[in-house]
Amino acid sequence: MDSPLDSIALFHLGPVPITQAILTTWAIMAVLVAGSYLLTRHLALIPSKRQAALELIVTTLDTQIKQTTGATPAPYRSFIGTLFMFILVSNWSSLIPGVEPPTAKLETDAALAVLVFLSVIWFGVRGAGVGGYLKSFAAPNVAMIPLNVLESITRVFSMFVRLFGNVMSGVFVVGIVASLAGLLVPIPLMALDLLTGLVQAYIFAVLAMVFISATIKDGQSAKPPSPQKKDS
Amino acid sequence: MTIDFWGLGLQAINVLVLVWLLSRVFWKPIAAAIATRQSAAKAVTDAAAAQQAKTDAALAEVTEARDGIAAERIATLDAAKAEAEATAEVALTEARTKADALLATAKEAAKQDAETAQAANAAKAADLALDIAARLLAGLESPKVQAAFLAQLVDTIIKMPEADRASLVDAPKGIEVVSPGDPGEEKATIEKAVRKALGGAADLRFVTDPALIAGLELRSPHFVLHNSWQADLDQVRKAVKDAA
Repeated sequence: MDSPLDSIALFHLGPVPITQAILTTWAIMAVLVAGSYLLTRHLALIPSKRQAALELIVTTLDTQIKQTTGATPAPYRSFIGTLFMFILVSNWSSLIPGVEPPTAKLETDAALAVLVFLSVIWFGVRGAGVGGYLKSFAAPNVAMIPLNVLESITRVFSMFVRLFGNVMSGVFVVGIVASLAGLLVPIPLMALDLLTGLVQAYIFAVLAMVFISATIKDGQSAKPPSPQKKDS
Repeated sequence: MTIDFWGLGLQAINVLVLVWLLSRVFWKPIAAAIATRQSAAKAVTDAAAAQQAKTDAALAEVTEARDGIAAERIATLDAAKAEAEATAEVALTEARTKADALLATAKEAAKQDAETAQAANAAKAADLALDIAARLLAGLESPKVQAAFLAQLVDTIIKMPEADRASLVDAPKGIEVVSPGDPGEEKATIEKAVRKALGGAADLRFVTDPALIAGLELRSPHFVLHNSWQADLDQVRKAVKDAA
């Protein structure tokens, strides 16, 4: 019997096995992009209720980024916001019968973690330069370099394990209870799963932001101050 | 449990594509809309601030102008007040001068009126006194009085210059001897005494004039020798009038 944690390929595109998580991801991407396109088609100077709600989302995200990093939110908005929205929609996709959330699979969470790891490097180099990024590993002193390198890997690993464990366990619990107790009993657990999905998406996005900002801050404190480009 | 690295990579690419797509169709358009509204609101706020500043400046200018008008009004009022006071002072002085002049004129007129009235009263009193005296003297007429007047007439004629007496004697129409009443038997005496005093044969005619009261006068067309109480009273009246 196959492990429920294994990803089963539905078909292959060349050497690439296409699993249900990948298909669900594509569907979620399509829904998000199409929905975003439809919602942002007619933006006006005087906003409608729909536009006001969308602007509230963006403003709240900007506020969170600003409070977390103290920097202007524009460079990080797309990455952090998309991470949050994708993880949230993925987690909540478990409410649709027959759909298993992509974040309940190791590959998706690991991919997200890898992206965060790479984004830390990308934003760190862009914000503090290559030297500044490398020197950020020597914070607060050189003796901490091995630990900081190890930490940069383990913290990302812990992120994806946390997300995977929470979402996968929620899916499992709901599935087990549904198979044992019928239709209505899993509803409280599904509600809890909604909350867990929201919290995990928030934690993942905030942690990614914290890692990026910590790297930039350490890198900038390691090199002499220079005028910072102000993004709009 | 195994990890499908193909799946991991594909999912990473999927998420990266999703980041790129959502960046184009969601995050950037909404952020641009917010920025556009903020810039529009800032432009409106700046315009309102500029308008406010302009309004404040205009208000300050109006306030300054109003203060200037108030000061000018006060200055004009003060000047008008001073001018009115000066004019009133001049008018008052002029009126006082005129009033003093009028008062002096009135006093002078009153004084003159009083003096005139006093003179008139004095004249009336003198006339009354002379009338009383004439009436009293009329009662005193007697041959002795007439004799006294005759003697006085003769004395006067004698004291006249010789030439006057000669012209009087040669008067072509003669000489009137005027008496208050008919002398009667005294005519001859009078005629004799007068002719003797004149020193020639003068043509004498006796004329009666009761106005003389008492006395004896000589009259010719060019000469009158007064010698009566009437003449004396006239002299007194004239002296009284001259004195008044």
